[in-house]
This record gives sequence, structure tokens and C-alpha cells, in this order.
Amino acid sequence: MREALLWGVGAATLLGVGLGTTQLKEVVHPPVKPAGLDAHETHASSSLLGQFRTSVSSWLWLRTDLYLHNGVEMRHLTQQELDRGKTGVGSSDNHDEALHNDELIVTVIPSRERDFRGFFGDLDRATKAYKDMSNHGHNDPKTALPLFRLMTWVDPTFVPGWTTAAAVIIRDRTEEANQKALGLLREGLAANPNSVGILSEIGFVHVSRRKDLRTAAAYFEQARQAGRAVVERLDDEDQEALLHGYRWLGLIYRDLGRTDSMREVLREGVQLFPDDPVLVRLLNPPPQVLSEQGQKAWQEAIQEELEGARADDHDHHDHHHDHEDHHDHDHP
Amino acid sequence: MSAPAIEFLNPTVRPTATRTRLWLSLARAVILESLRRKDLYVVGILGFLLMVSAGTLGFFGLQGLETFAKDLATTVLGLFSTIVAVLTGSRLMPDEIRNRTLYPLLARPMSRFDLIMGKFLGAVAVTWIAFGILAVLTGLALALFGVRFEAVMGQYLLLKSLGLAVVCAVSLCLSMVMTPSAAATMGFVLAFGTTMIVRALTMAYETASPAMQWLFKLVNAALPQYGLFDMGSRAANSGWGPVPLWVVGALLGYAVCYSSAMLALAWLKFRRQVV
Repeated sequence: MREALLWGVGAATLLGVGLGTTQLKEVVHPPVKPAGLDAHETHASSSLLGQFRTSVSSWLWLRTDLYLHNGVEMRHLTQQELDRGKTGVGSSDNHDEALHNDELIVTVIPSRERDFRGFFGDLDRATKAYKDMSNHGHNDPKTALPLFRLMTWVDPTFVPGWTTAAAVIIRDRTEEANQKALGLLREGLAANPNSVGILSEIGFVHVSRRKDLRTAAAYFEQARQAGRAVVERLDDEDQEALLHGYRWLGLIYRDLGRTDSMREVLREGVQLFPDDPVLVRLLNPPPQVLSEQGQKAWQEAIQEELEGARADDHDHHDHHHDHEDHHDHDHP
Repeated sequence: MSAPAIEFLNPTVRPTATRTRLWLSLARAVILESLRRKDLYVVGILGFLLMVSAGTLGFFGLQGLETFAKDLATTVLGLFSTIVAVLTGSRLMPDEIRNRTLYPLLARPMSRFDLIMGKFLGAVAVTWIAFGILAVLTGLALALFGVRFEAVMGQYLLLKSLGLAVVCAVSLCLSMVMTPSAAATMGFVLAFGTTMIVRALTMAYETASPAMQWLFKLVNAALPQYGLFDMGSRAANSGWGPVPLWVVGALLGYAVCYSSAMLALAWLKFRRQVV
């Protein structure tokens, strides 16, 4: 009898502990919708199908890069190669600006001078889509748009598919292209309502192409609201998008003459991204000791940093996702 | 010279024409066995999957996706045909031993080398038939949606066929030195991993120590260079012309040499094997 009682108490205790673990739900399942490759890790039931969709969309993403090089397989330089001073092949155009940084990539099949395989290497170069890619050109990124459409169709939660496709479309710099990109991004937003990346991209289209500062600010504010509370849990791409959002908001409020809003946003931005030089410079006005020319130079320096950051970002965006390389797309 | 070598090399012992007929008979038996086992049904199912996949893509619309469709077609074609080659090549000899059908075969006036050669030719024939069926189905599926391959596709098919023969030889050799399951597994590892290993070697070579560089060269020479036979990237993307004839000749020579070496190794193991 006593033994049975002890068993009962033990079982009840275990049951209590087990039920108590629901308190951990917030920790195990943070209330943030994961993005990118983790987008499907929300429910066990969706995980299996989700993994498949993620794999397909990631594979399509890699193929996109391949087709831009007309089938020539490229790879990023390893850290060891970079340390040894090896440089990438570079490019003659900026057609793949939205996809990767050509200064950091080389052909997967090495050139004859760098290939130890001798005759086998010659055969490999002959039978594969291979050519010397030094200062190479690219196929028009627009040819890859159907592939972006396919990857977002297969996996609507694949945010880079939406944002990069939009970045490629707005390269046309026409109102028609802007509308098309915005339509695509709104479709993406419907599938990913709190995506910092998509909200930020919509803001970017409005500010950089349509010069519509107020609408842009509204979207950047939405991105800010969605991202600031959970910045630690955002993936790299969304963190980057959030950073751009703060930069643009600072500039937009400055241009709209809303100095208080500008300071508030920039202060918050610096708090979240203390190492970002652009936000720090924007927040701190030019020193009074500078002449008018010096102050102008100060402003120009900020502008240059913004331009530089935008170029870097384009490289990043893209290949973060697949192999944590440096790829990017259109951002401030 | 050893007795088996004399037996193999001396044309008076076994005239070439008789030997060729013997090999072809054995190969024919392999094809019939494959049909009896309904192996080619699997090819049919794979082909059906290809058509369904193409249909799905077609439903989505292939406008602008022609390169992707061709890339997918050559990838899937290579994948499925390699699976058939490995499974066929690694199964033939162990099946004969397990089913004890090897005894009546060896009781006939044929050498053990003849048996291996005949089985190899049979495996190659089955693989090529499967590859042909899949290629025709893929071509039809793509043609339905208006996707056309360039002339280089002909070379792709030719070189891929040579590569599949090498896969058969390697798998058959592996099946002589390990269990059928292990042979199939190793066959798949080599078929799908060799290209990756070679890529890794070329990447790491420059930063490796001299001793490691020597090892890299050794590994590269020993591995079957299946990747050289795959012209899929040229066939799928536009503007890449056919390869020069010397390349086809060199790959033919390599396929013959490597397959011969694998068959010789298989024979060396098999000729002393107690069955």
C-alpha cells in the first residue's frame, strides 16, 4: 500500500514537472517568425515539408548564380587564400551586383597555371562550361527572374527570393519596374507579414526610386517596429535590413526636417548597432570648429559611407543565405 | 607466364571470334535476366517521374526557364542512369554466386575472365538501354514544352555513355572484393563523391605541404574521373559549342584503360576465388 502511494506521488511529481515545461514554451519557441532557411521550423508537422521546400529554394538560389555566369561554376575564396593575398576574378559589369561580390570569387575549376592535374585538368576545362573569367561579364540578371518567381512559388517564406527579385527588377529605373517590384514585394509581405527584410525593401524602393519619403518612412517604421524588440533573434539578413532601415529613417527624417524623430531613431539605431559608423556619424553633427567647407566635407563623407555600405550590402544579401559568403543586394 | 594468362592471351586456345560470341551471349543473358527481374520497370517509373516533373514545370510555365529545364534534365538523367549503372554492375557476380548459377556457367568451356567480360558487357548494355530510354523520355518531355537542346547534347550523350561504362566496371570490380551491399554503397560514394573530392583537392593543393601535394596527385590519379565525362553544364547553358575531337578520343582512351584495369583487378581476385 505504502509502495503504491510512493509510486503515485512519484508519478504525479513527474507529471507536474512535465506539464510545467509548457512554461518553457516562450524560450523554446520564441514569438518571432523565423526567416530564411529556418522559416519552416515552426511546427513539427510543417518541418518535414518545410525542409524540402527550403532545400529546393536554396538549390534554385544557387542555380541562379550559376546561370548568371552561363554555367561557369564559381566559388568564394577561402580564408586561407585571402590571407595569402589571392584575389577574385573581378567583373567588367555590375550585372550581378545584387547577387555577389566578384572580387571574392574564382572559378571552381582552376586555370591551367593553377591546376595540378595536368592533362586531366585540360580535359575537365574542355568538357565543362569553363572559360577564363578574369574581368568577366554576366548574363542579364533579368533572365533569372523566372527562377526567383519559381523559388518564391515553391517556398513563399523564402524572403531573399522576394527581395532579390525586387532588387533585380528595379534596376530598370522606370515607374513600371517600380510598380512591378512593389507588387512582388507586397505579395511577399502577405506571406511574411513581419519580415523586416521585405518591409525594408519596400521602403527602399519608395525612397530610392520614387523619392516618396513619407511612404518610405512608413515602411521603414514598420520594419523598425517588427525588428527592434527581437533584434537578437533576427537572422543576419534581417539584422542587416534593420540596420539599413535605421540609416534610411535617419536620412528621411533629416530631409523632412523632423529633427527630433531623426535623433530618436538614430539614438535607437546606435544603441542596437553601436559599431555602425554611418549611424554614429549621422547622429553626431559636424563639429562647430569646421569651416563651412569642412562641414560640407563631413556631409559628403557620410554620403560616401552610405554609398559604400550600399555597394557592400548588395554583395552580402544573396549568399549569406546559402553558404555564408559575401553576397548582397540593393540597400542603402 | 601463368596458365590463366596463356589461356587468356593465346588465340589458338580460344579464337577471338568465338570469344566475342561468348561474351555477347553472356551479355545477352544479362539483358534477358534484367528484363525478367523487371529492372527496366524501375527505369520506366523513373521516366514517368521525369515526365511528371516536366509537366509540373510546364504547368508553371517554362517561359524564361529553358536553361533551368535543360539543367534539370541533364542532372536527373545523369543521376538516374548512374543509379542503374551502380546497381547493375555491383549485383551481377554476387547474384551468380548466391544463386549457385555460377557452377553450370563455369562448367561450360569458358574462362573466368570470359565470364567477367561477358557480365561487364551485359551491365553496360543494360545501363545504356536504361540511359537511352530516359534520354528519349526527357527529350520528349522538354520538346513538348518547346525546349530545344543544342548540337552539343549529342556529345553529352556519347561521353555520358562512356562514363557509365566506367561506372559499371568499377562497380563490378568492387563487387568482387566486398559484399554486394558494400559494393553498391562504395559504388555510389565514388560515383557521386569523386567529383567533389577532386574539386576539394584542386582547391587545397596550393596551400598544402609538398608531402600532401604528392598524396593529392596520387589520390587524383587513382580515383575514377567520372566528372570528365559529364558535359551537362555545356549542354544546359547556351553558346557552348561541341568539344574538339581529341577530347572525345582522350576520354575514350581513358574509359578503355580504366575499365580494363578494373576488370583485370576483378579477374585477378576472381580467378583464385573458391566458389
